[in-house]
Amino acid sequence: MAASALCQSVFLLVSLLLGTCQLKGLSEPLSVSPGSLKFAIDSTYQSFSLLWSVHGLLDHQEIQMNFQIQISRINKSNAIWKGDYITTVKSNAPVHWSWESELPLECATHFVRIRSHVDDARFPQLRSWSKWTAWKEIRVLNPLSPGKNFSLFPKDNLVEAGSNMTVCYVSRSNGSEIDCFLENERIHGEALTPHVTAFILINVPFLRPTGMNMHCRENSTNELKDGLVIYVSKMLEDPKNFSCETQDLKTVNCTWDPVAVTAPVKLHPSNKVQPPESYALHESFSQETKVCEHNTWCTWQVAEDSQDGYNFTLQIQNIFRKRSVNLAFNLTHRVHPRPPFNFFLENMNSTSALVSWKVQPLRKSSTFLCQVECLHDEHVMEQVNISVGMHGECLLSGLEPDTQYLARVRCAYGNHLWKWSDWVGQRFTTLDVAPSAPDVWRTVDSVPGGYNVTLHWKLPPKDRAWRKVLFYNITVENLDEASTPNLLSVPPTLRDAAVTLGSSTHRISVTATSRGGTSPASAVVIAGGSADDEEVEEKRVMGTADGVFLSWKPRSGDAEGYVVEWYEQALGPLHGLQWKKLGPKSTHTVISPDAFRPGIRYNFRIYELSTKLMASLLEKKTGYYQELVPLVNPQVTVDQLNAHSFTLSWKDYSTESQHGFIRGYYVYLKSKMQHCAQVDKRVTLPDNSSYCKYEINDPEQKTFMAEHLQPKSTYEFFVTAFTSAGKGPNGTFTEITTADEYDQMLLRVLLPMGFCVTLIMVIFYMKIQWMKRHCYPDIPDPYKSSILSLIKSKSSNLTILSPQDCTPDAIEVVDRLEGSKTQPTQKSDTKMELPLSASPQPFAFADQNPSDGRACICFENLTYNQQVPDPCSCDHSPVPPTTPPHHLGLFSSLENIWKDYMTSLDEVPAGETGVNYVSQLTSPVSGGKDSLPTDPLVAAQCSEYKIQMVVPLGAPLSPHTEDCSLCPSAP
Amino acid sequence: MVAFCRLPGFLSLLLVLHWKPGAGNPLLITPDKATCITRHPCPSNLMTQIRSQLMQLNSSANTLFILYYKAQGEPFPRRLDKLCGPNVTDFPPFHADGTEKDKLVELYRIVAYLGASLGNITRDQKALNPKAQDLHSKLNATADTLRGLLSNVLCHLCNKYHVGHVDVSYGPDTSGKEAFQKKKLGCQMLGKYKQVIVELAQAF
Repeated sequence: MAASALCQSVFLLVSLLLGTCQLKGLSEPLSVSPGSLKFAIDSTYQSFSLLWSVHGLLDHQEIQMNFQIQISRINKSNAIWKGDYITTVKSNAPVHWSWESELPLECATHFVRIRSHVDDARFPQLRSWSKWTAWKEIRVLNPLSPGKNFSLFPKDNLVEAGSNMTVCYVSRSNGSEIDCFLENERIHGEALTPHVTAFILINVPFLRPTGMNMHCRENSTNELKDGLVIYVSKMLEDPKNFSCETQDLKTVNCTWDPVAVTAPVKLHPSNKVQPPESYALHESFSQETKVCEHNTWCTWQVAEDSQDGYNFTLQIQNIFRKRSVNLAFNLTHRVHPRPPFNFFLENMNSTSALVSWKVQPLRKSSTFLCQVECLHDEHVMEQVNISVGMHGECLLSGLEPDTQYLARVRCAYGNHLWKWSDWVGQRFTTLDVAPSAPDVWRTVDSVPGGYNVTLHWKLPPKDRAWRKVLFYNITVENLDEASTPNLLSVPPTLRDAAVTLGSSTHRISVTATSRGGTSPASAVVIAGGSADDEEVEEKRVMGTADGVFLSWKPRSGDAEGYVVEWYEQALGPLHGLQWKKLGPKSTHTVISPDAFRPGIRYNFRIYELSTKLMASLLEKKTGYYQELVPLVNPQVTVDQLNAHSFTLSWKDYSTESQHGFIRGYYVYLKSKMQHCAQVDKRVTLPDNSSYCKYEINDPEQKTFMAEHLQPKSTYEFFVTAFTSAGKGPNGTFTEITTADEYDQMLLRVLLPMGFCVTLIMVIFYMKIQWMKRHCYPDIPDPYKSSILSLIKSKSSNLTILSPQDCTPDAIEVVDRLEGSKTQPTQKSDTKMELPLSASPQPFAFADQNPSDGRACICFENLTYNQQVPDPCSCDHSPVPPTTPPHHLGLFSSLENIWKDYMTSLDEVPAGETGVNYVSQLTSPVSGGKDSLPTDPLVAAQCSEYKIQMVVPLGAPLSPHTEDCSLCPSAP
Repeated sequence: MVAFCRLPGFLSLLLVLHWKPGAGNPLLITPDKATCITRHPCPSNLMTQIRSQLMQLNSSANTLFILYYKAQGEPFPRRLDKLCGPNVTDFPPFHADGTEKDKLVELYRIVAYLGASLGNITRDQKALNPKAQDLHSKLNATADTLRGLLSNVLCHLCNKYHVGHVDVSYGPDTSGKEAFQKKKLGCQMLGKYKQVIVELAQAF
């Protein structure tokens, strides 16, 4: 296709040359008109070129002409464009003009015609338009390749994002429905002819550098008909960060940010690669332009002895638009020197090194400002600025032995500092030396027979050679006895060691050994009896923002120095012991806050070092660098709860393990129903309720009594401790209800009463024998009875019958009837029947059966019934009272007493009323009723002691006792 | 040789493809017991290696196919059936029921065809999708394996069956085609490759 286009152009030129020969020899054209119109299509850019000649020009004549061009599409009457083209026409030169179509030329036939007039002041008579040329048909031959029935156009076109483009397809068949899609979105077209449809894509977006796919398929069969790729270029923008500089005043390097908007596109069908952008550098003073090969930088050669001022313009261009940016500068102000070279480290020892370097010269008088840095662990240890010519050197001093450093240097143009060069440097390690003497301290604990000494050591802060310490040597010498010193070697990772010593004075030395040698020894002396637990009163100390201030009074005037040690109280001295050694004139020191943590209690010990390096304890202090609020609140218990008060107690609360010194406690008390009665203690809450706040300023007072409370009321309390930093954490109130007042009173009465009753009962129980003996003896002693006083009060002439005064054992033995034996064993379980009359039976001497000469006469005192120790059994037969007169008075008195007694019996429980008391009978022969003798011969022994019996008062008094089963019964 | 001349644009590609023993010219089937010389000694376990290479290609064919059509942009992932169907008309045939010798000859033709097509695809994709590094790597790796397989097949044919030349054919040249056609032809070829490599792996 390219070859055919070339042939067309050649043919066109030849034809035009022949045509122009007609005007030779004329001084003025008679008529001038375009003719011999030819065309050439460029499908790659969707354009066609027109080439025509101008008839009527004379030889070597040049006139300016205006050509009017009209273009129609599809048919001649469909004019789509009309424009003028003014140009100077030479007699033998064809006129060239091109036109770009928005519609791919494959999709439609175009028609072109031209007319002209002379637009030259020399030939005003030729200003009229010429005739139009004949329509020239412009169409792409065979837009569909052989064998193809369908094709999309334009292929592989490149458009700018945001622009519009027209795509069309050509189909051999007409009638099939074709659907076309851009990516996956269906687009709708306009049918130009039955075989051609055009799609106008508005505002084409940039999706990806590799373009967008468009394809068409047949609606009915879904068969893919054709596809194409539309490459979209981002809109070209102004280049950013355009900058120029020089390293040697000979070459200018200009850089800018990349503005690549699309990848190179191989356009179809020419396979011409469309570069994305082109770059050019233009200098306005010299009016020179250089095409840049790279898309982010460009170089410009400075001519010898040229100007220092430059005005550069960077121009970026793609097929759609141009962009440019300008930069004017003085070249000497844009010097970015090359890095120094010949960089060396010389004369290196343990603390210094000499650095030397060279700088590339620019001009004869130019100087450089160089910056030398010495870094350790990426930290700048030293920085020096030096002004140099071509050669520079710098001594790095104050270095640490056996330490790795980085020495580096960079330079800037001294005449006008703009940019530093890149760094040039080298790492090096200083030579090693022996470490400094370690700082040694100790803690001493007494043990039986000696001391446990824990040695602590550290190297001075500035001596960082400890990192290379190989080991520590500890030497222990006994100063009181001549003995070989003990040597202990300790790994470098350890910072303490424990030594057990006797009670003698010892000197302990510590040395540190590195590859550079052994440090001087640092010693402490442990004197006999110098344990640290000396009795020194401990004082409190408080920290400030500057640290903890400690002061002391020197004990002796020749102190070698002082040592302040401190440690966390919770950890003890063996963990994290820190110390600070001070000179002999020191009386105070401030320990920086770095050594402390807020809320941690520290113990401080201040020692005085004697000239013999013996330490004696001067001061003990304890305190906080910064107090915090208490960590926890007390656990409160309630005691002595009553109607008007209760006592809160938190005796288990530790004041020593808090984050500050406990200064006291706040007790909050509030009632659900009432406000705080004490105005001075009242704290009002936002909801207008209030509570009482009591402050206890004695940390050891761990009880609080809430008084003047209402009975049976609910109160809430909360106890928190406080330090100088504030009170403890907020907590919840605990609810408590006071006791009822009446319940309390009831308890006050009932408890003593119950106690008294119990006491009486106990006493009564314990003294029951005594009571029985005195109040209701088994055998009342008339002489001890209170009756005596009654008797005496009632009748002074009455006396008490003494049993000794009568003879109860005067028994007359009489014969017993056989018949009287018929009921020998009527006894036992049948209750003893007593006569209803409880009056004592009078003494009777009667023969029950006068006819029977064997009647037995018994004398019986019913009060003291004493059976005769006669084998003859006695019988109490009812005998008519034949009371002797001298006994009447006594009997009546007894009867009264009996009545009194019965009256007293009436007070016994009802169940026991109606019973009577039957006195005992004493018998010299004792025997149980269960062991009644059946032998009559034994009947003589039936006299026995009658046990007391209780009989119903209503029952008749039996005249006999069944205990005497062998005695003859009364008929 | 006819096939070789049919596509002179592939000369450089074929030279690269056949640099291994026996490479240089498309092979014709020589009569049995004819002299067959390879440039390098052939290993003893050729069939094992051939099977292993086929398995390797089979296991990676689908990944390559997916990488390819995803890199082409829409509508390729959604229109696989129309854009990436295995519609390759001139693809060399393969008969799994043939003798081992016949199968090896057909395998040789197919591998040679695929190798050339893969070369075209790799070249086109470097221009169309210059930043699709994963796809490029996979294409290169597959082409390497195909070259090794081609060499082994040739060795085996030469050693065992004394076949020194096999007539081969190649697919269409895509260099003059527009971008969409390149994408489509490549996708169709890889779809065909994915389909046929399964059959080949099972046949050996």
